[in-house]
Amino acid sequence: MAIDILIAEDEPSILESLDFILRRAGYTIGAVTDGDAVLDAVRRLAPRLVVLDVMLPKRSGFDVLKQIRANVELRGMPVLILTAKGQQQDRRTAEELGADGFVTKPYANADVVGAVRQLLAGHGGAA
Amino acid sequence: MRAPIGFRISNRRKLLGLSQASLARVVGISPSYLNLIENNKRDIGGALLNRVAAQLDIDVDELAGRTEQKLLQDLEEAFADPVVESLPFRPEERRELVAQYPASAAALARLHRAYTDAVSNADAYADRLRSDPLLSQLLHQILSGVTAIRSSAEILEDVADLDDAERQRFLSSIRRETLTLSDVARNLIGQFDTSSEISRNVSPAREIDDLIIERQNYFPLLEDAADTLRQEIARTGPFNVATLSTVLEARFGVAVDFGGPPDEPDFPGQYRFDAASRRMWFQGTATLATRQFQLARLYGELAAADAIAATLHSAVLSTPTARRLASRAVGSYLAGAMVFPYERMLADAEASAYDIDHLRQVYNASFEQVAHRLVTLRRPGQEGVPFGFLRSDPAGRLTKHFPLPGLLLPNSGHACPLWAIYGAFRMPDAPLRQVVRFSDGSRYLFLARTVQRRTAAFREQIVSSSVMLACDVLHADRTIYASGLDLDDLSTDIPVGPSCRLCTRRDCASRQEETLSPDIGASRTRAPLLPAAFALGDAP
Repeated sequence: MAIDILIAEDEPSILESLDFILRRAGYTIGAVTDGDAVLDAVRRLAPRLVVLDVMLPKRSGFDVLKQIRANVELRGMPVLILTAKGQQQDRRTAEELGADGFVTKPYANADVVGAVRQLLAGHGGAA
Repeated sequence: MRAPIGFRISNRRKLLGLSQASLARVVGISPSYLNLIENNKRDIGGALLNRVAAQLDIDVDELAGRTEQKLLQDLEEAFADPVVESLPFRPEERRELVAQYPASAAALARLHRAYTDAVSNADAYADRLRSDPLLSQLLHQILSGVTAIRSSAEILEDVADLDDAERQRFLSSIRRETLTLSDVARNLIGQFDTSSEISRNVSPAREIDDLIIERQNYFPLLEDAADTLRQEIARTGPFNVATLSTVLEARFGVAVDFGGPPDEPDFPGQYRFDAASRRMWFQGTATLATRQFQLARLYGELAAADAIAATLHSAVLSTPTARRLASRAVGSYLAGAMVFPYERMLADAEASAYDIDHLRQVYNASFEQVAHRLVTLRRPGQEGVPFGFLRSDPAGRLTKHFPLPGLLLPNSGHACPLWAIYGAFRMPDAPLRQVVRFSDGSRYLFLARTVQRRTAAFREQIVSSSVMLACDVLHADRTIYASGLDLDDLSTDIPVGPSCRLCTRRDCASRQEETLSPDIGASRTRAPLLPAAFALGDAP
């Protein structure tokens, strides 16, 4: 059961709106709400892209990103990072760990959809 | 940096119209000796100084210039501040200001103190904002809430074909996040209220310093109280841990426990008194010295609360924290006076040439306890060798200080890296002595040693600090720490300063900051460590 996008986000309201706007943009969506669940979900759901929040319970978004990049099968997976405004260091860290794109909270919905489209187009195959 | 006390005696004598011969006669010395004193060629102190002051009808402190000296040191620090240091001060300006306009000088010193306190407050705030986990958590909550609200609102606004259930879902989402944000805002406001209370506590240590300096670190009321308490305790048995435990139990119902876990699971200290359960707990590894001293303190605080209150009563202590810390400092003083009764301690100190290790074993006390007590041997007419006292943590930060007139001990921050107080960390638990010379020619004997708490587990980090006593070389030969040293040989003196900013030695390899003195030329061989001038306070 392959999906388009896996969202890793722990805030229910944010998850709900992300789920809604990305579905409306035509993607199929899966979601997890803590860092420990991401890797397993990536293997199980085989998404084309991961939207990853930095501040996740149990295991931080950075840790998860590092795991993905260290895994031979998964290292090519496009990852879009959600960072918070003012956290410049977070962005640098994510870049060093190999993130493909960033969206800064609070974002406009169009920013997220635009970033997702761009990453998926860059990795072969439009929605 | 010694005060020209002779000039003050001479001026005062002339003002009163007395001849050198007549003053010499009434104080019981020869006119030629008085002449030497007045020309600052002989030191004067103790009983003779008291007699001279009495004959000249002037306060001893004023005559000795201690008040003035302290003010001068405060001004030295103020004028060394980067904000004003590039102003074209004349060399004698500070001295003249103190002599001619003492109130203005005091105003400057106080303003500088208030300014440095304000700066450290601001630093503390910045640190809090950067590192406070609660603040960053609140910030995260705010950003999350705003993100959810913005995203949901956009959906409601932009998506024309939402069904009722979806519309309802995003409206509830907005409502829920708005409530959360209100809570976060309240939390944040509460947080800042608490922070502003905490930040006012930057200066209590200074206020206590002032109290101690003002009383010259000698408190007759506490000495009397300590004598009375010693006599009470002596009726039960010899002064030791067992007797102290017995009297605490009998008189105050306090149970003393050694070893076992503390009442509070994560309590980091070595001892703790729980007033509610009347239990005094000591870590099993606490030394005999710690046990005896802290039991004496507890007994003193419970039995002589009046004397402590009276001592603090007249002090200007502006915050509850300052009052609490001062009351703690006064409690320590009282305990010191109980463990080391004044007259016996003075006699033992003189007899052993101030041998701290010897005094430790006579009184079952720690190095720091003995050193601290030596500083307080200032009873008029029965003075011991005048000592200054400093304590530093391994990061070099000064954590306790009792000043010595004439010697400029920094109020806070770091002293000169060449001082024995820092050298002692290289040889833990061994006394380190050095004869130092300041650029004005004044010389002191420094004695330092590290002290540390015993740990109670392998994982526990060692808490160590370094304690230093300083005494004028003129008095050093009365101490064992000068034995074997040729105090007349200046060639082995260690050239030091008070701290880099207040030091004029250009050729020092240890220099870390530029000096303030404008009249010292720039080095030919060294580039400045800091910009020579700062924007603020520059001459136009």
